Amino acid sequence: MSTPVTASADSPPSPVSKPEPRIDRRRLRSARTKQAIIEAYLALLREAPQVPTSTLIAKKAGCSVRSIFERFVDLHALRVAATDYAFAEATAQVATSDASGGRQERIRTHVRTRGAICDRWLPLWRALNANRGESVELNSRMVLMRQAILKRIELMYSPELSTLPDLQRRQILIVIESLIDFESWGRMRDYNGLDFEEACTVWIQAIDRLLPATPVS
Amino acid sequence: MGLLQQPAARASKVDGRRLRSIKTRRRIIDAYLSLAHEKSPLIPTAVEIARQANCSVRSIFERFSDIHGLQVAAVDQVLSEITPPPPPREGDDRLTRIRAQVETRSRSCERWLPLWRSLMANQGESVELRQRAVALRERIVARLASMYEVELSTVSPADRKRLLIVLEALTDTESWARMKEFFGLSFEDACQTWTQAIDRLLPPTPSRA
Repeated sequence: MSTPVTASADSPPSPVSKPEPRIDRRRLRSARTKQAIIEAYLALLREAPQVPTSTLIAKKAGCSVRSIFERFVDLHALRVAATDYAFAEATAQVATSDASGGRQERIRTHVRTRGAICDRWLPLWRALNANRGESVELNSRMVLMRQAILKRIELMYSPELSTLPDLQRRQILIVIESLIDFESWGRMRDYNGLDFEEACTVWIQAIDRLLPATPVS
Repeated sequence: MGLLQQPAARASKVDGRRLRSIKTRRRIIDAYLSLAHEKSPLIPTAVEIARQANCSVRSIFERFSDIHGLQVAAVDQVLSEITPPPPPREGDDRLTRIRAQVETRSRSCERWLPLWRSLMANQGESVELRQRAVALRERIVARLASMYEVELSTVSPADRKRLLIVLEALTDTESWARMKEFFGLSFEDACQTWTQAIDRLLPPTPSRA
């Protein structure tokens, strides 16, 4: 068995460093399995509200239970990783939506993006809420998500909010955040039986009523 | 000896036993509610409930088939004890009605938040608990409809439905909790936030003829 030799940054590549691509492929496979496990966990949450077992996750991901625990110390760590994955995806989705335009255009864009995120991530949000307990990692991520939602509201409605004194501005932010909460969306879809468009209309009309008049530029 | 006992004496003994059993049942439910409030959203164990109710674990399962059965009974007891708030007084202006509704709702949120969270977190697939959660929401919506009938009567049925959905979402228990826990608002500031938002959301109050 040969002693592994690693090339330093300033030394020329040596023939001994050839095994690297094999290691990279292994790493790549391992990263793919990790991703498949996260996606399997999220898919199972969408299918049923109960927290999926490691056996179910492994079956869905097409790997062994051992593979899961080689990549995540426990199911809580998997939940944290799935939350990070969801947060990154939702942030990217929000970033592509346009924050400019007239009042109605901005409200529509904001609501439709938020509605799509709620539709996609509500099951994960529910699982997070049910299992966060005393977990510092999950609680801090939930706070980060709320802060991101608030920042988005501030950005989307900055022309209207800029006309208000601090206290009123804060009140409107709190109310809009409360209105466009995951569970508020969930109730419109599950309990009130609204389709995506109808649910968006409810939020669009409410935000329009809550915001002050748009200043004339 | 039992055979010689008079029917009246036997009946009173049976009634005494029944009464004690009812009292124990009540103590178990009260113990469950107190512990669920304290440990929310976790469900208290049978051992903890028995200790708090000063009875045996066996006594619990003689009266309830399982902890879920106890949960359902506890929710029913709470529902039966909630006194419906009075309807709006004739002649009350818009702001008085908004303030009255916000005041009642916020007090209810303050009082029942831990139990509500426990119910939400543990309802799982339970049809009984889901039905009760739905019944609670229906009561809230009915109250909103009654308080703001004057304003809601001026809009189309579709707009009325949308407004009620929004008002219910706005005054949800978790929405109250976020104002207090996440945004750090005081009771009065949180009430003011709801009052102003409802005032903005409602259509204009029609003038009296």
